[in-house]
Amino acid sequence: MAIHIPTLAPEIIGHIGQWPITNTIINAWLAIIIFLFIGLAVRWSVQLRPGKLQNFFEYILELLMGYFDQVTGERKRTIRFLPIVGSVFFFILLSNWLGLLPGTGSITVGRNFLLRPANTDLNLTLAMAMVAVLSSHIFGFLTVGVAAHIGKFVQIKNFFKSFKHGPIGIFTAMVEGAVGLIEIVSELAKVLSLSLRLFGNIFAGEVLISVISALVGLLVPTPFMLLELLVGLIQASVFAMLTIVYLTVATMEPHGAEEH
Amino acid sequence: MFFIDIVHASSEAASAAAEGAQEGLLASLGINVTLFLFQLANFIVVALILWFLILKPLTKKMAERQKIIDESLDNAKKVQANLEQSEQDYQKRLQEAKRAAEKVLEQAGLESEKLSSELKDKAKKEIESLVAQAKRNIQLEKEEMTVAFKGEAATLVALALEKILSEKMTDERDKKFIKEIVEKLDK
Repeated sequence: MAIHIPTLAPEIIGHIGQWPITNTIINAWLAIIIFLFIGLAVRWSVQLRPGKLQNFFEYILELLMGYFDQVTGERKRTIRFLPIVGSVFFFILLSNWLGLLPGTGSITVGRNFLLRPANTDLNLTLAMAMVAVLSSHIFGFLTVGVAAHIGKFVQIKNFFKSFKHGPIGIFTAMVEGAVGLIEIVSELAKVLSLSLRLFGNIFAGEVLISVISALVGLLVPTPFMLLELLVGLIQASVFAMLTIVYLTVATMEPHGAEEH
Repeated sequence: MFFIDIVHASSEAASAAAEGAQEGLLASLGINVTLFLFQLANFIVVALILWFLILKPLTKKMAERQKIIDESLDNAKKVQANLEQSEQDYQKRLQEAKRAAEKVLEQAGLESEKLSSELKDKAKKEIESLVAQAKRNIQLEKEEMTVAFKGEAATLVALALEKILSEKMTDERDKKFIKEIVEKLDK
């Protein structure tokens, strides 16, 4: 029996019209369907006096928001960021755990597997990372204002003011400009680090389980699968926490401009 | 039987590398604009479902419940405060009522004492009046009796004298004689 090591790129298992459908997209759709069912159940059953299902979800949500509150400092801001951060957390968590379901890595369509964890697709992790970082800037613009938020990176006003302070002022302004450029690069690095971290961890886990399952199919992969459960939770938490940190930092009022 | 198809894996890797070299770094990592947009759409759909069907209703309901709990606690505090105030008012009114009752009792005592005294005085006066009246009546009766007695006595004396003296007396002598006897009796 050959070991099937997943490729970096997700496998295309078919087309809808001219659009390619990969096995990671199938996994994402599966997650969407599950969320839709849970969502409809919650939406229809939600009431002031919670039932078992609502109680369970409220408990999870309250637990999660407690952690987010530690970063944002207040519940109001947590609720404000929750559409992004909550979605990121639950989607990553479910997608990661769906990858452990029987059928992933065993049901084939043609020569490819039908299911593959959604986060082993860099397109998805990159999309989520871009949404996270871009939304942090959108929240920044909306909260502190466009000029103030841009001023966190490029202090144009200070640059022109520095001409009044002679060569040292100009030099300081140039250094600040360079720091601003580094800040802009660091924003790109945020996207890369978020997406590659998640992709790398989940992809590595998928490769590990594929190899172990191919070597010894019975019981031996179980500890690794349990480990992957934990990794899935940790990676979802890390992604969500970093996202909320970015959102919180972006919506903070900038420090006063330094006097030269 | 298990075997690692290293040759196949190597050839796959080699072909992937060759493709990568041709299509660039992004393509070698599996990044594709179409797939990226698909996955972005997937994530947006998930975010919309999660927010509008799960997170928003739950957070809204939790906030609503929190508000009700806060209001209930505030109301409970207000009720407690009202209860304490009512208790204080009750105690205050009870004290006032007690004081008023004591005052009324005291007043009633004074009034009863006064009334009693008045009644006593009145009774005393009435008794004194009755006693005086009785004394007057007795005096009158005594006087009447005395007069009657005197009359009777005079008659008896006259009759006795008539018999004793056996002498017929004239009216004038009789009257004169009676008068003298009565005068003596008065003395």
